[in-house]
Amino acid sequence: MSTILVIAEHRRNELRPVSLELISAAQGLKKNADDKVVVAVIGSQTESFVPALSVAGVDELILLKAPVTDFDPDIFEAAVSALITSKTPTVVLLPHSVDSLGYAATLASKAGYGFATDVFIVEYQADELVATRGGYNQKVNVEVDFPGKATVVMTIRASVFKVLEGTASPIITNFDLPAVQSRSQNKEFIELGGGNDVDITTVEFIMSIGRGIGEETNVEQFRELAETAGATLCCSRPIADAGWLPKSRQVGQSGKVVGSCKLYVALGISGSIQHMAGMKHVPTIVAVNTDPGASIFTIAKYGIVADIFDMEEELNSQLAA
Amino acid sequence: MFALNSDKDLVDKAIKNGDIYAAAAVYSIAKCEQREVLEGIMFAKRRDALALARWEHTPAEVLNALSIKNNSDVGIVLRLDKNQNTPALAISTLYGLENGQVKRNTSFTVLIAQHRHTPINVLEAIVKFVDDIEVLKAVSKNPVANAQVLGLLLNRVAHSSVYEAVAKNVAANPSASADLLSAIYSYADYSQADDCQAGSSLRVAVLKHENCPQFLIRLAEFNVADAAIEIQRQLVKDSRLSLQALASLVASQDKVLRTGLAANLAAPKMLIKQLLKDESPLVRRAVAARADLTVSSIKYLISDKDHWVRQWLARNPAVSRKVLEKLSADPHADVRRAVARNSRCTNALLSELAKDEDAWVRAAVAYQKNATKRLLEALAEDADIDVLSGVANNPHTPQRILLKLISSLEADIRRGVILNRKAQRKTLLSLLEDSYYLHRLMLVNSTVLKDSDKWPLCDDPDFQVRFTAYQYFAKKYQTFTKNI
Repeated sequence: MSTILVIAEHRRNELRPVSLELISAAQGLKKNADDKVVVAVIGSQTESFVPALSVAGVDELILLKAPVTDFDPDIFEAAVSALITSKTPTVVLLPHSVDSLGYAATLASKAGYGFATDVFIVEYQADELVATRGGYNQKVNVEVDFPGKATVVMTIRASVFKVLEGTASPIITNFDLPAVQSRSQNKEFIELGGGNDVDITTVEFIMSIGRGIGEETNVEQFRELAETAGATLCCSRPIADAGWLPKSRQVGQSGKVVGSCKLYVALGISGSIQHMAGMKHVPTIVAVNTDPGASIFTIAKYGIVADIFDMEEELNSQLAA
Repeated sequence: MFALNSDKDLVDKAIKNGDIYAAAAVYSIAKCEQREVLEGIMFAKRRDALALARWEHTPAEVLNALSIKNNSDVGIVLRLDKNQNTPALAISTLYGLENGQVKRNTSFTVLIAQHRHTPINVLEAIVKFVDDIEVLKAVSKNPVANAQVLGLLLNRVAHSSVYEAVAKNVAANPSASADLLSAIYSYADYSQADDCQAGSSLRVAVLKHENCPQFLIRLAEFNVADAAIEIQRQLVKDSRLSLQALASLVASQDKVLRTGLAANLAAPKMLIKQLLKDESPLVRRAVAARADLTVSSIKYLISDKDHWVRQWLARNPAVSRKVLEKLSADPHADVRRAVARNSRCTNALLSELAKDEDAWVRAAVAYQKNATKRLLEALAEDADIDVLSGVANNPHTPQRILLKLISSLEADIRRGVILNRKAQRKTLLSLLEDSYYLHRLMLVNSTVLKDSDKWPLCDDPDFQVRFTAYQYFAKKYQTFTKNI
């Protein structure tokens, strides 16, 4: 019997959707019927997450009471380390998020566990655990194995694993947090971008505009189009800098990474490295640009060399019909 | 310490630095013997040469040198082909004519056929000698190709199965002449019996072209009532269409067509009055955006149930201040924002909108070029990032407010100050050490900072900042040399 340990992630007392995706990934790693998926949640109000985490595929739910409401790298590292010692899991799954980046590498390094980040496929190949992640700036897929490692820690990319349907009644246990001295403290929570606007990191369909839009009035046409198509309108940095769309809609290095996006339609965006940093992972990118040499075409699944206004007109005609 | 006496000093500094990006930035001002040293720095390692061949900011002179020195390296040639900065001279070096033939005929040729710097004689040679259909299609889409090359191309593919595809691209190419467009239109008419859809799409492409001759519009409108819907939709947007033809289309069942008519500036008031009450909000939105709206039309649209209609009205520079005042109380925030963005919005109205409950409306005021100092001072107390970015951006914002904003934790707000064209030197100085590289990079081209302020950026930890700083000083020396 082996154990797969999942560390749930929450922010401001809300469970992050990726936690449920990790459970789905863990379920796929069960080799035997008696293998267990154990989910741990760390925080000051862990009980509040019990209903949301009592989902299909979870065998045990561990609640770790911690003196902090939000993430703290020292506390999380100590807690997960103690859990691994106690439960001896073969695989530990963490979300590939800014939280995990704060402690996963040190956790694995200190104890000599196998380690892989930003994993989007994890499976057993003839009894060998193999993780697949991007390499060379996502240009190639790299398979990583972990010879001789009894425990492997992985951070899993969000929006890759489909959440399992159905509820369950897992065993609920409490686990004592080991003594730990935190070196940091949360002073304030700052939500990047407009607080009341849509969170573009969670939406699946994005239309995004760049410099090709020309002038502010034209933005409205594309807002209309996005609304009709059921997309969220986002933009590259110059558009947000000009005040034509809110900062919360800005994609890229200066803006946000659209982690959950499945379809990204880039309209009049040349594709600077800074912009692509926020969206190049999206499985389906459609790029529309009059310049066939625009960098955006190097990462697009579908490239259309055309005027974005012709495209807008055509899409509007199709949607209106 | 800023102590350069000549362009040679700058190049020497770049050589001493040994950084490929600094070397690339000063290459154009270097003397012959210095250029050799710089080439040694830039091209000695293949990895560096590949990076420069691909980088979107590599100066044309460096790309040109790469095309001469490394033209047998397939990897470098491929990157040069893809780089939109590659100059015509480099393309000629790689693909020019040799004994009446194109030097290379590889799969890369498609990249050259679509490149915006490809010399016309190379495009002509490609059309004459290259057989690859994808390459020919790429030429047909390239706006650099002139009418003569496009004509040659159409002749080359005449009677072949790809004629239609090439002709459609040519019809969309801004270089297509009226003669070429007429020829394509005739072909479309002729081929209509074979493939109605293809014929229609070809004719739409021709009718859409700004060089489309008047007689083709007249020819098309002759049968407008029976034409395919795509053709009708295109014609109805054309300001050259006769009033009679426009009137015959106003009762069309197609709302896209009626929307096109509502946006046509040549549409007479009578028709617009009719479209004002159209059942489709798409049509009414197009009417609301018209610059020639009458008072009675505005009065009708002001209470339209579709918020987009009211929003387009609020953006319309033709509406009166009184109308804007009414729209500023609209329940929909986007409408109120549109009022704040309207250039006719009064200060009194802006003051009201600056207190709006929606931050995006207040941000519109903060970005408004008519906003007063007093209003901006009040908005500077706002907590919203978009509002503060607007204040930081606004040229009317007092310097003391800008000085306060540069210490914001939000990079977007600090960048707003950098983008402010009235930001003074003393305001920008501390941003030269901003933690975000993009901000330091943007300051290289600031017109208020002194050269001595910018000089340390030549040793910036970020390669893009170093490159931009070296390039800035290189251009200064270049301009200075030209002037003397």
